[in-house]
Amino acid sequence: MKPDPIDELGARLFEAARREPVPERALERALFAAREARSTAENAVLPPRAALFGLAAAALVAGAALFLMYRGETVSRISAEPALSVRLDREPQPPSSNRNLTEPSPSVTTVAPPAPSAAPISPPPVHSAATSLSDELAALNTASSALRSGDAQAALSALDHYDRMKGQKMRAEATLLRVEALSRAGQADAASKLAAQFVEKNPESPLVDRARSFIVVGNKAGK
Amino acid sequence: MSWLTSKLFSASSADSGARAPTIDSLVREQYGFVWRVLRGLGLAHDDADDAAQQVFMIAARKLDQIVPGSERSFVYGTALRVAKNAQRARARRREMLEDEREDAPEPSDRNPEQRAELARARALLVELLAQLPEKFQRVLILAELEQLEVPEIARLEGLPVGTAASRLRFARAQFRELVAGARARNPFAREP
Repeated sequence: MKPDPIDELGARLFEAARREPVPERALERALFAAREARSTAENAVLPPRAALFGLAAAALVAGAALFLMYRGETVSRISAEPALSVRLDREPQPPSSNRNLTEPSPSVTTVAPPAPSAAPISPPPVHSAATSLSDELAALNTASSALRSGDAQAALSALDHYDRMKGQKMRAEATLLRVEALSRAGQADAASKLAAQFVEKNPESPLVDRARSFIVVGNKAGK
Repeated sequence: MSWLTSKLFSASSADSGARAPTIDSLVREQYGFVWRVLRGLGLAHDDADDAAQQVFMIAARKLDQIVPGSERSFVYGTALRVAKNAQRARARRREMLEDEREDAPEPSDRNPEQRAELARARALLVELLAQLPEKFQRVLILAELEQLEVPEIARLEGLPVGTAASRLRFARAQFRELVAGARARNPFAREP
């Protein structure tokens, strides 16, 4: 027995609260969102070694360019892409969580070109009947994997497949993935419009900060 | 924490036997705790879902900063901050008369009468807890809802064990008084 038992009625109130089932669906959504957030964070932050490598590569390219300029060669023969791609492949950094809705968002002006995928990622088979949460998660995981491997088109295909599912419960997550896939596919305007619509319809969603980071300034209203 | 520091730290934590958390282990092991704490702090069902998701998105971004073995402390501290924001947002919605979210419980196999009883019990618990100072609410949630022992409560609250014990004693005393005043609304009382 506890030294300071709270009254019997008090104890029953807490017991009733303990018996409330933890929603499995919400757990799975949180897990998916957390994986996505982690993936974004890992892509956004380069470890020092990689950053140093990038700087060294940039210095080498710059040095080579200066050398060729000195020799009167055309600078345009040298592509700076290998060094720059480290930066361009990163996703936009999500804004801080306390950003006001009306505050201007950073524009997404650097869009990485769609990278060719080594192996096509095929979406799971279409289910015409009511879809289970695991089916939805499978489709969204396929889209996410495609996106992380640089194949924005495959991600969009997987999301098209998701959109054909019935009774979706993870529309918000799917919309955010589509925004990111459109951005990666070079369709920054479409990504911005969709992100603006998402923010307007879901101002209190936990995903809203991420959506805002894709809104191009001047396109906030999604027009 | 820098990349190098986190690497060094993960090496030392591996030596001590604690394993660095993964996203999956963190969510699966701590979700229930976080969700119940958020509910205990008065968040409606859907608000608690959203807030818990936010807690784990933050934790995922800061995974390298979570000291192995202190996962619960991390998500608890984050949940308290997220809950505050959610409560402020809810207050704004109420001011604008736009709060249409109901505290609908998860569908369950309980019969309607049981569900109604649990809903009334929950409403009364939230109402009573809300009348206590926040620091008392928190220790009561940890002790009575999560059934944690005082040393663990002290660790989560960042308090000396003696302070946590005395805070819990005061909290229980105040809660008892509140319950006594609400006895007429006993949600478990059967209709005559």
